[in-house]
Amino acid sequence: MTSYVVRRVLQAVPLLAGISVLIYVLLQMTPGGPLAIAENPGSAGRVTAEQLERLRNRYGLDDPLYVRYLRWAADLLRGDFGTSFNTGRPVLEMIGERIPVTFLVTGLSFLVTLLLAFPIGIVSAVRQYSVFDYLSTSVAFLGVSIPSFWLALMLLYVFTFTLGWLPSFGLEDPRQDYEGLVALWDRARHLVMPVTVLALVSTASLTRYIRAAMLDAIGQDYTRTARAKGLSERVVILRHALKNGAIPIVTILALEIPDLFIGSVIVESIFAIPGMGRLFVESAHLRDYPVLMGILMIASLLVILFNLLADVLYAVLDPRIRYR
Amino acid sequence: MSEATKGDRLEGAHVLEQARLHGPSVPSLASHERPRSLWSDAWRQFRRHRLALAGLFTLASIVLAVIAGPELIPYDPERIDFRAKSSPPTLAHPMGTDELGRDQLVRVLDGGRVSLAVGLAVVLVAMSVGVAIGAIAGYAGGWVDNALMRVVDVFYSMPGLFVIILLVTLLGPNFWTIVISLGLLRWMTTARLVRASFLSLKEQEFVEAARAIGASNVRIVLRHILPNALSPIIVAATLGIAGAILAESALSFLGLGFQPPQATWGRMLEEAQKMVIHEGHWWRGFFPGLMIFLTIISINFVGDGLRDALDPRRLERS
Repeated sequence: MTSYVVRRVLQAVPLLAGISVLIYVLLQMTPGGPLAIAENPGSAGRVTAEQLERLRNRYGLDDPLYVRYLRWAADLLRGDFGTSFNTGRPVLEMIGERIPVTFLVTGLSFLVTLLLAFPIGIVSAVRQYSVFDYLSTSVAFLGVSIPSFWLALMLLYVFTFTLGWLPSFGLEDPRQDYEGLVALWDRARHLVMPVTVLALVSTASLTRYIRAAMLDAIGQDYTRTARAKGLSERVVILRHALKNGAIPIVTILALEIPDLFIGSVIVESIFAIPGMGRLFVESAHLRDYPVLMGILMIASLLVILFNLLADVLYAVLDPRIRYR
Repeated sequence: MSEATKGDRLEGAHVLEQARLHGPSVPSLASHERPRSLWSDAWRQFRRHRLALAGLFTLASIVLAVIAGPELIPYDPERIDFRAKSSPPTLAHPMGTDELGRDQLVRVLDGGRVSLAVGLAVVLVAMSVGVAIGAIAGYAGGWVDNALMRVVDVFYSMPGLFVIILLVTLLGPNFWTIVISLGLLRWMTTARLVRASFLSLKEQEFVEAARAIGASNVRIVLRHILPNALSPIIVAATLGIAGAILAESALSFLGLGFQPPQATWGRMLEEAQKMVIHEGHWWRGFFPGLMIFLTIISINFVGDGLRDALDPRRLERS
């Protein structure tokens, strides 16, 4: 088992290296090179010739490509993600400020997804072809097809413009200085819509998976055996069917997290939430390449990490899987 | 038990059942029927899927409206008319107008041309790359397969939307940079599907027979293996169009895709954002989003129907 985990971790290293090469090649595609924006005459007021020279020296722009890549990669490994073109601050520091917000939004959305998808999926499967099943499958189908930004916009129209119940942007009311429970309530009001939007799409797709997995498990011999033993329906479904049916679900769950993370780009942008996704979009508008590269590396790391987690969890939970 | 043997077993049981019910009349019944091609068979199957049919009809209507609409409507998508600015839906402007008095219906239809064209073009790019890489990996095997699959892994591990945003920012947003950026991040699933089909198909007798009569590798791949691997590719391509339209809309919604004055559905939503939230001009956001939603859900239904219709393991073939 340990050797399996170690091997999987080691396999992730070349993957990360491959991604970093790709990202670096992308960086080189910048029209006029990575300093194009700094050299742009339009920004002459902000970047002096002297600063430009310093930047050139710093990045060693006249060295061959592979030398520059290795130097860049070595910097990354030391935690030096470069400095932002826009703010002049270290990229890692900027990401560090924003990432907790993104974790908060995606974490809550993940929790909501779990709390909704499991009960709905299980009931749907247990009462297959019931009204509830038809309703939840239809809603799930709508949920996977609805563009999240449209849903967000329409929710804003209803709950912010028409009813005035919920604030439209940010994480807290900037005009007030709330404390304690009131601050928590204020924070919750700000998070309701973003979390709903983000959770809906993943709930919709997860419900479909859970329903399918449960239907499969309910049809298996061990479920019939459990029923034949005279166990209560509750125990049969939750102990026997769910425990076995949940194994493939765990993998999907682990893969759902990076999806939420990526989806938060849109939600953070429309609700003006100061997270990493919004930082990415802002940096794209400003062509702040070091920040874009940094976020891309961190996001890739997260995707790989959760892929790894999915594989390891699957191996741990399913004793039939042999770790060769 | 593998999927394939499970299917065989069920199919076998089905035939036995038929034989039991109909006795010796089964073979003669079959001989009366005209031989059916895969496509007419698939179409018969598809027609029974009512939601898929409804999806196909909706999709056809949208395509028709988007192609013919802008020619028939007496407004220009970029014509500014301040006398009619920010009008809610009326008979003259069924989807209302924006703050410059531009007719939203004609803009939605004109934008739809771009959105749909992007969807199709992205899938064309993604399928070309995916089929080529999957076919080479599956047919060649060995280290070629290994190397190509590691490339697939690398692309799979990149956060798609982030990379697309970076690419479009780097290349500058226009039709082809958007299409290529989206296409380059959407070919991996196809490559894996095609590789898997090729791995099993290349061992089959008909491929061996083709090789025995001296067919070249290119001919074997294109004429013998690829046609047999087509079903999953068609389903993936159909669903891929929906994904591509959604991705382009998201990109344009973030203000990083198509630039004004060109309307696309995502772009219109971006322009609508402030007006919907602060002025309550709901029609600005409702209609472009509804078009995206209807298109995506129709394509998803059609894709589901195709999956059932083209699945060779399905039980009912009548």
